[in-house]
Amino acid sequence: MKKRRLCVVLGAMLLVALMVHPVMAKQFKVAGRPLNLFCYLTQQVAFSMHDDDYYDTEEGLQSALFNFLLEGDYTFSDDLKFYGAGMLTLDWIYDIKHDDQSWNEKLFNQSRDNLYMDDESWQLLKEAHFTWTPGDFLFRVGKQIIAWGETDGFRLMDQINPLDQRRGMADVEFETTIIPIWLLRAEYFPRIGINWLQDLGFEFIFNPNADFIPNQNPSTGNNAGGIWAPNVMVPLAPGQYAHLGSADMAIEEPNSWDSDGFEYGFRIKTLIKDAFLTLNYFDGLDNDPVQRMAAAPPEIGVASDGLAIIHPSMEGYYPDFRFAGITFSKDIIPLKASFLGGVSPVLRLEAFYGFDNTFATSLNTFEKSDEMRWAIGIDWKVKIPFLNPRTYFALSGQFYQRKILDYPSGYEFSNLEDDNNMTTLSINTSYLHNKLVPSFFWMNDRTNNADMYKLQLVYDYSYKWHYTLGALIINGNKPGKGFHVFENKDQVYFKISYKWG
Amino acid sequence: MQKFKILFMCFLVLFLALFMMTSAAWSEEQFKITAAEFAKHKRLLDDPRPYLTTTLAYDKVLPPDLYAKLTYDVDEMKKAWAGVVGFSAPNAVGKIAPEIKPGTYSYRDKEKYPGLKELMIPLQYEFFKAGVPPLAGTYPEIKVVPTRQYYFSLPIAKATKENIDRVQLDENGIIKEETWTGGLPFPRPSGKFKANQCMYNWIRTPLWWENMYATSSNLGFTRTLRIDQRMVADVMQLKLKGRVYMEPYGWYDDRAKQNGEYTQMNFFYKAPRDMYGNVIGMTTYLDPEKWDQMLLYVNVLRRLRVLSSTDIQDAIGGADYAYVDNNGFGQKLSTTIFPYRSEVIAEREFLVPFSTWDGSQYVNAKGELYNYEWERRPMYVIKMTQLDKNFVYSYRIVYMDKETSILVHIENYDQKGRLYRTTRGSRPFIPELGMFGFGWGIACDHLDLHTSVTNGYMMPVPWLTRRNVSLRGLVVKGK
Repeated sequence: MKKRRLCVVLGAMLLVALMVHPVMAKQFKVAGRPLNLFCYLTQQVAFSMHDDDYYDTEEGLQSALFNFLLEGDYTFSDDLKFYGAGMLTLDWIYDIKHDDQSWNEKLFNQSRDNLYMDDESWQLLKEAHFTWTPGDFLFRVGKQIIAWGETDGFRLMDQINPLDQRRGMADVEFETTIIPIWLLRAEYFPRIGINWLQDLGFEFIFNPNADFIPNQNPSTGNNAGGIWAPNVMVPLAPGQYAHLGSADMAIEEPNSWDSDGFEYGFRIKTLIKDAFLTLNYFDGLDNDPVQRMAAAPPEIGVASDGLAIIHPSMEGYYPDFRFAGITFSKDIIPLKASFLGGVSPVLRLEAFYGFDNTFATSLNTFEKSDEMRWAIGIDWKVKIPFLNPRTYFALSGQFYQRKILDYPSGYEFSNLEDDNNMTTLSINTSYLHNKLVPSFFWMNDRTNNADMYKLQLVYDYSYKWHYTLGALIINGNKPGKGFHVFENKDQVYFKISYKWG
Repeated sequence: MQKFKILFMCFLVLFLALFMMTSAAWSEEQFKITAAEFAKHKRLLDDPRPYLTTTLAYDKVLPPDLYAKLTYDVDEMKKAWAGVVGFSAPNAVGKIAPEIKPGTYSYRDKEKYPGLKELMIPLQYEFFKAGVPPLAGTYPEIKVVPTRQYYFSLPIAKATKENIDRVQLDENGIIKEETWTGGLPFPRPSGKFKANQCMYNWIRTPLWWENMYATSSNLGFTRTLRIDQRMVADVMQLKLKGRVYMEPYGWYDDRAKQNGEYTQMNFFYKAPRDMYGNVIGMTTYLDPEKWDQMLLYVNVLRRLRVLSSTDIQDAIGGADYAYVDNNGFGQKLSTTIFPYRSEVIAEREFLVPFSTWDGSQYVNAKGELYNYEWERRPMYVIKMTQLDKNFVYSYRIVYMDKETSILVHIENYDQKGRLYRTTRGSRPFIPELGMFGFGWGIACDHLDLHTSVTNGYMMPVPWLTRRNVSLRGLVVKGK
């Protein structure tokens, strides 16, 4: 294992050395056809905004994430192209804090196997796909990302690819938190003779379950989830609590190529009167498992703060997930106001109806119910001359609701109410000729009375060098619910990025 | 589940059937000059190679049959165009500072030749100096050449000639669409709305190929003349009305006619890495009161987003121009969408870097421009006063070549009356085609002190269809 990791690191260093060589071209000709190569390197450090009093966080420096991404495309012909991307992610904190007493006592060192280096083949190879575009068709085969929907921050219709959220809401590269999977995608854009219908496309997706990869969520227990382990306190007796530690998971997964893991998607997309409208249908598996306590008794340990740690045994599976939905987006020109800068807002709508989805209950059972998820968002660029005389402010607000139909009475679905509401607000602008970009993001979990704030300042020194300074602040008011389990994860971070190509 | 699988297989079979039926449709070769190929023949920095008369001459790049089809007798084109516009430039200049003769002048000669100040656009005279911060795009020396006659090809001349006394403006100075079918709408601007007629000649310019593929590279200079931006993008554009030399003629299709569409294009980024895989799709409408459609395929999100069609005033991606500055002036004349009151404030000759035919001009790392050919050109100076006080500019000063109606120099002033952004264009001329090339553009932000320098190459591509610039085109070119 160590040798393999060493090889990966050395390989990455060699590639980096080659990439930054100034005479190396970014575009090549191979067999007379263009090959484009790009890469980026980022190094981020994050500091906790809390002191050493909390068991689920580490004072001071708590992560030192490094990313190296190499991507490129090769055009075989006008209608056949290959795109590939590989990435290495390392968190140097496990080396830096190797001998740190607090780090080790809180068991963060034991999460090294999960979070030090992403060296699984599916993590190293991000995307690899061929795109063939004969005539009115598009076929894409390979490891890829297919994104549906209109919302940002929430994944409503966007259910095809799993997400890697093991490193929480830190400023990892957004693009690389989506996990590409092996898919077949076919699209057909018929030539239409209907004048009001500006464009029409049909999209089919098939997931042959070549390699089952679910969502990668932060694990409970510092020894598994590292600094992003949710802080869940288990009541033992009145006034007495224990930490929820890592779980012994017995989650059933479909075997590779097993038809139980096949997924199908169909989408019709149209442009009508300058509005973008899609109709979507998906039949596959949920990327998150339903899970419940297994019969085996939990293991119990002792944390460095003196409280017990309970390591439960869990069992579960990835349930069927089926939905039909619609998305709509259009700019609403009558709402533009000259005194606000004359830019009309863009309305984004998204909704789906889920059939017979499976939920874990507080009775430690699984139940099926239909559900509705819908969201509305408005993007509006406005001019606020006294704050920024030259550049607009981009405001974006969203409301999201997940409504469980036939919600039971007398017991609960785990972490879900019958109505689950969220809002987001995002604001950004730019100064110094687009070089300095301050932004603010606020996510409010209305159901659980919890908030997440992210303030960030990006300075683009050049098209190659970028610097980011940010802060992440999280709070929650319902113990064990919503963002409350991340309440001690507040951090400031700094990232330097070098982009090549 | 079983039913759905059967349904899915049926769709696949249907797909294959459709695929077989349409197999002949994509056999045509897509010849084009991509960004990588262009860079091989002409780098953006420190590269004086005359690519337009050597390796990337159109007779070498275009398929022989297409080149033959688009080539006309030069004398015939000159005669036809002079007849259409009523003059030829060499006969319309030479009255101001006649002592400035063809030859090479250094910025050190400015005092020695005071006539240069009189002859040049004031701001360009300021840029006649060695490269020093804060703005790039200076001319340490200028090469003055004799004034040449420029013209468009015979089909454009023919269409333009038919427009004389036919194309009309309404009582607000807005074009009556049904009266224009191609060519320059107003070859001899005159009357109450003379300035509007001039601007319509630019808005409907035949400069762009009717089926066009173009590649462009952009360099950004900070106020210390450090290069902070390199951008490469390709463009595919279809002209949908007023087609006179590439089939289909007239309207591109019935949809364009019914929906009043003028152009449809895809603009796809190749570099830098952050922009790679972003594609902007745009459909422009002829209706002066209708906003254009803008779509964006976002590389990071792998999604198509509808952009606000009214979001046209912010600088594009760190460059020194907004959508309203597209190609110098990227707006419609309208009574509701940021309307202007326009007037011709001068008609005279200027010494300008109008066109360098061999493509040998270049920029160096100090932001200095070399090998530009300057010539006396008869020009209109148009002041466009913005009537909406919330618009980014309070007024624009437009310098337009009188013989071709091509914009040469535009100054844009903010609502406080300060010079905000300027755009300078210089386009190569291809004599045997009676057409211009993509050429160089210099855009300056005089408030944030930043400069963008662009060069590109464009070519006619009959293979381009709606398929390339539609929703499919966005998805195919997107990441």
